[in-house]
Amino acid sequence: MIEVDPITYSYTVLLLSMAVNLGISLYGVFYRPSLIKKIIALTIFSDTANTFAIIIGYIRWRSPEEPVQPPVLTKLNASAEDIARFASNSVDPLPQALVLTAIVIGLAVTLFLVFLTLQIYRLYKTTDVREIARLRG
Amino acid sequence: MNGRVIGLVVITLFVVVFSLVLALGGLGWMLPMENVRMIAREYLRIAYNPFDMNYTVMSPEAVTSIVWDFRGLDTLFETVVFYLAIIGSVALARGIKSSPPEKKVEAYGLSLIVKTVTRITIGMIIAIAASIALHGHLTPGGGFQGGATAAIAPLLVLVIFSKYYLENLGVRKNVMLSIRSIGLLGIGLTAFSVLIIGLLSGVNAYVFQNQPKSTAPIGLPYQIGGQLISGTLWFFNIFEMFAVAAGFTIIFLLLSIPERDVLKCIKEEGGEY
Repeated sequence: MIEVDPITYSYTVLLLSMAVNLGISLYGVFYRPSLIKKIIALTIFSDTANTFAIIIGYIRWRSPEEPVQPPVLTKLNASAEDIARFASNSVDPLPQALVLTAIVIGLAVTLFLVFLTLQIYRLYKTTDVREIARLRG
Repeated sequence: MNGRVIGLVVITLFVVVFSLVLALGGLGWMLPMENVRMIAREYLRIAYNPFDMNYTVMSPEAVTSIVWDFRGLDTLFETVVFYLAIIGSVALARGIKSSPPEKKVEAYGLSLIVKTVTRITIGMIIAIAASIALHGHLTPGGGFQGGATAAIAPLLVLVIFSKYYLENLGVRKNVMLSIRSIGLLGIGLTAFSVLIIGLLSGVNAYVFQNQPKSTAPIGLPYQIGGQLISGTLWFFNIFEMFAVAAGFTIIFLLLSIPERDVLKCIKEEGGEY
């Protein structure tokens, strides 16, 4: 009988559900004919990827007295010990840094795509990619 | 039909391979991990460390230190992606002329109650956005978040008052384009600031340098009058806030051009649809 750590187990279930979510949103991007629905699926995809990156950076609590803390040093005039404790108790700041820019850039790109779709709709009166592909000129 | 089956198989394989990687310990055997990676621990250690002045950024916020110092070039290019997305939208909307309002500007929009509440909240939104951006090097936040928050204010005005009301306030596309350009210019200047100071004073310095290093003994001060500003981080955050807020406002303005103006423009260009 293999020993199963309940935290690792539930964490794995969480990550797997994210993978399934990624798969479903990829299906939306590939197979939904409407451009609007493709954009919605794309935002679900990027949000899931961002959540995944954040959750990779999380670390386990060592003890109830030493909780995991966000990557912000809250102590003024910190001593060397404070900084060492902060470095060992804080979560990974690198994914957070990547995700914060990814969200804003993602919003800008989504707005651009929405605007593009709006222009396509104004010109061709459809957002169905099958009909747009059939257009000539 | 064949392509659809292949696609579904690929998506299913994606999920299965991901689970296999998880099961084989691709993210470690213990989830969540016991410790952060070595590089993250190093970043956390030197983000604010007066005892290691050679590497430190002197900012208690590790995320902002990474965004604008350790991995500053990445963020610069992400700002470029943002710039291109906005420019793409502006290029799509070129030539569309907005017609003057048909009735009085005050007659547009929602009821008086909503308008009054919006007038009160907009001030708060701008204040919060400024607080998020100006304290980006001390608390969670920064230029990107502050700018995205500030962009909500013009969006609210657009929906609750009208496009014409916002334009009468001075928030026009060209004004926003210049504010955004000033923001981007400021980011570029801040990136080169220490290099310029170094060149003028004849000392070795690098692009994107913040605090003095042993090989480049020059940098921006990390505090002014006892207040931490963490060198370049503070300036980067302010300029990024202007660039992001103005950029989003441009797209909101473009999206709110009345449909009849756009259709008129398309008809004049000879579109037959």
